[in-house]
Amino acid sequence: MNDTQDQQQLQALRDFFFAQNAAQLSDAYAALDEAVSIDLPKVDDWEAVEFAFNRLFVGPKALIAPPFASVYLEPEPQVMGKSTLISRQIFEMLGVQSPWQGTLPDDHLSLELDACIRLSAVRQAGDSPEVEDLWSYFLQAHLDQWLPSWINRVRSAEQLPPAIHTVTDILAAWLADEMRDLKSTEPSIGL
Amino acid sequence: MDKLKQKKMEKTLSCNSSRRRFLQGLLATGALATMPIGLLQPMLAEAKELFSDADYQIFRNACPRNCFDSCSLKTFVKDGVVEFVEGSPESTYTAGGLCVKGYSYPRRVYSPDRIKYPMVQVGRGSGNWKRVSWEEAIDRIAQKILKIKELDGNLLGLGLDKYSGNFGITHYGVEGMMSSLGYTTRFAGTPCWPAGIDAQNYDMGDMWTNDPEDMVKSKYIIVWGGNPAWCSVHSMKYIYEARRKGAKLVVIDPVLTQTAAKADLYIRPHTSTDGALALGMARHLIDKGMVDQEFVSKHAVGFDAFKKYLKEKVSVEWAAAETGVSAAMIRHLAEEFATADPATIWIGYGMQRHANGGSMVRAIDALVAMTGNIGKEGGGARYGHLRTWGFNYNAMVMSPPEGSKGIVGGGPAKGDFHFGGDEATTYSNRNFNMNQAARDILAQKESPLRMLWVACRNPMSQNQNTALMKKAYDSIEAVVVVDQFFTKTVEQADIVLPHTTLFEEYNVNVGYWHYWMALNEQAIKPMYEAKSDVQIAALLSARMNKLAPGSCTFPLETDTRVWMEKEFNQGIHDLFGIKSWKDLKKGPKKAKLASSASWHDRKFKTPSGKYEFFSSLAAEHGHAALPEYRPKRAATAPLRVITPHSKFSLHSQFQNLDYMADFNPEPFVYVHPTTAAAKGIADGQQVRVFNSLGEVRLKARLTGNVPTQVLVMYEQWFKDSNFLVQKIIDDTPADMGAYKTGAPGTAVHDQFADIEKA
Ligand code: SF4
Repeated sequence: MNDTQDQQQLQALRDFFFAQNAAQLSDAYAALDEAVSIDLPKVDDWEAVEFAFNRLFVGPKALIAPPFASVYLEPEPQVMGKSTLISRQIFEMLGVQSPWQGTLPDDHLSLELDACIRLSAVRQAGDSPEVEDLWSYFLQAHLDQWLPSWINRVRSAEQLPPAIHTVTDILAAWLADEMRDLKSTEPSIGL
Repeated sequence: MDKLKQKKMEKTLSCNSSRRRFLQGLLATGALATMPIGLLQPMLAEAKELFSDADYQIFRNACPRNCFDSCSLKTFVKDGVVEFVEGSPESTYTAGGLCVKGYSYPRRVYSPDRIKYPMVQVGRGSGNWKRVSWEEAIDRIAQKILKIKELDGNLLGLGLDKYSGNFGITHYGVEGMMSSLGYTTRFAGTPCWPAGIDAQNYDMGDMWTNDPEDMVKSKYIIVWGGNPAWCSVHSMKYIYEARRKGAKLVVIDPVLTQTAAKADLYIRPHTSTDGALALGMARHLIDKGMVDQEFVSKHAVGFDAFKKYLKEKVSVEWAAAETGVSAAMIRHLAEEFATADPATIWIGYGMQRHANGGSMVRAIDALVAMTGNIGKEGGGARYGHLRTWGFNYNAMVMSPPEGSKGIVGGGPAKGDFHFGGDEATTYSNRNFNMNQAARDILAQKESPLRMLWVACRNPMSQNQNTALMKKAYDSIEAVVVVDQFFTKTVEQADIVLPHTTLFEEYNVNVGYWHYWMALNEQAIKPMYEAKSDVQIAALLSARMNKLAPGSCTFPLETDTRVWMEKEFNQGIHDLFGIKSWKDLKKGPKKAKLASSASWHDRKFKTPSGKYEFFSSLAAEHGHAALPEYRPKRAATAPLRVITPHSKFSLHSQFQNLDYMADFNPEPFVYVHPTTAAAKGIADGQQVRVFNSLGEVRLKARLTGNVPTQVLVMYEQWFKDSNFLVQKIIDDTPADMGAYKTGAPGTAVHDQFADIEKA
């Protein structure tokens, strides 16, 4: 996958998990379909996907898989924890901030994916060891610390629509790829 | 990434100047110029200092949850996040500490379970929800209201079920919103304390309690049918202090509560016979001549009639047989109580939640009165008060739009917290009984309830007879629920609107037990899309007037601080000795009291101006004029069920938080070992508790803390459980409550069921 495709895929993932209704879900899904080489499962009933999506990530019932990092990273599951502020700090290092700062936790999955998109763009634009360090930190010390637990929760949800399952798998695969890349470029400790 | 690099990055992240240096480096390379447009936005110039190294910002808050203690809070905020809360040290009552529920507040704001957005359910109870914008949600609601008006020619088909989930004064804006739309249906009454309110009104002309802080002056304290160690933890320090100075603490309760465990003397009467115990004590005092003659002759009326009643109808032996408390103990208790000076009785709300609850409160009032303990510091028949509630109710008092039609000759509105005046109007709202809401909804043929607005309540988990409630809800075309969490009521909603927590709005709070007033400041931005009741009302008003000009009179103001400010008046300023609400920023203030004793001048508000052992008003309302014994409700199943408050929740609030779930993960039915043995039930075993209404399934816990023949289950809402004690509790009313609150109370502790292994 080339860099542009990678960016498109990340953007589609970001938009999918930030969708507010069936139409936005379906649009993001279509964009993802374009960006990936596999064929995504066909969706007949977007409303059903929307209901399932809301049960998982939006509410109003207690969420099956809250899409906020701190729920998984803090010793006790709540939003706006210390780890939420780490995301806010990383955004600041990139010169951006969430327009929903203080109302939507900064470590919402989609905001973090957005930061990844930005960070990737910055990486492509120049060759800075500091930027590389920030990238590996964000991935290894943050995203990889919570996304696997979140992914597990999504995958084990009852009656999970294939569409959400597949999109989650794509996200999982992206993370695994990035982690593999990081490991291969890193000198092993102790050398 | 190796550990060293990770550490270095963490250091950079946590340091304002390092982060800025990093950003400046990026800017210099021009790398940021290529940044794609996405969700995150370029940092605002004024937001450059995202993280301050400064100390916490401190805000004033108030716990608004209908708790005796109505604590004032100090909230510590850093980087826009509530980090922790403390009790205000400035209030001698809160005294720097909170209860377990209060300390869990940050978990409430930041629970991932919070309702975040307006949402619409496609098929009530289906669990299929769509997220909608506020505009869409409000538009749907407004359209529905206009449709009702069009169909019925009035808005009686629109109902409001609201009570005390948030007691902040501006939340009376929900009632205001309804009034601003026209004449609607109100769920009148209170599930909480109405029988006792009426009882105290018959006896003294008002409900007015001594300052709880003056319990330190008491020489003898009886806590009767209440459990302050769980439900008013801040009052315990006064009880302890009184004991340290030599006072005796007696707890009268069918359950060996945590308060009882701390008592010098614990007395367990049969459930619902407390009136007989009080009357037996009174009879003994007559026999012994231990009556405060000055009080009964100078400050009271009807004592002779009461005395005659006691002599003719009550004996200590009769009281002993009724209550199961020995005659010797009744005499001993009566004498000790009458001898101590001052002596006081704290009348718990649990005691009056019986079919004969009001009459029991009257009997206890009489005992306190005849011993001369009313109007005395350290004495008193303590129940509650509303003396500090003289706000403007600016958000509540709204005039209906021109041409609105309602009930003709319905009379003025009533309610424990109704402060709207008693002016006569051509039309009025239609009142349903909050405590028998399901019956009233289902019985209505004319202008049926088409739409229900639920705020500050969770009736589907807290109202009695769940099955009937469900049937009633099923008959309503549209249900709108405003809440913070997905309760059993939200489950039955068509539209849910997310509400702010106390940290996300301005308000002002007072208590009905202590005499403090506390400011509630907005400490953080509202999370997600939560809005306060008054903001919701303003949105609705805007939409209504757009669709049908003149259809709603609610002001468009959305600043909760402005709403809060408008509640203050000279009376409040004078009572609390403040010049402006801003003085409360320094901490809560206590009302300036002429005495810590209620009725200190013995000027009672009864028709006679005296304490009324004999109340013609009570007789007029169909009760006995005297505090006569009213027999307990006849059993409808082999075992009694009582459903008191848990330590971990305020009704259905708080238990859903993870903190509470850690301590108290599941419900139990508490059974006496003898009863359990007879049914072959072992500790921890799954059982079903059932009666003609339905059943609940849960584990049994065997304990001698409950009497034989009595099952105890705490009334709670567990978020991941189908347990609802109200499935087997019926809506039998208490004897009193209609006079002052518009509907009789509930007899939720006068209930019956059977138990068996599941
Ligand atoms: S629940 Fe009661 S005791 Fe606890 S913090 Fe709130 S007011 Fe205070």
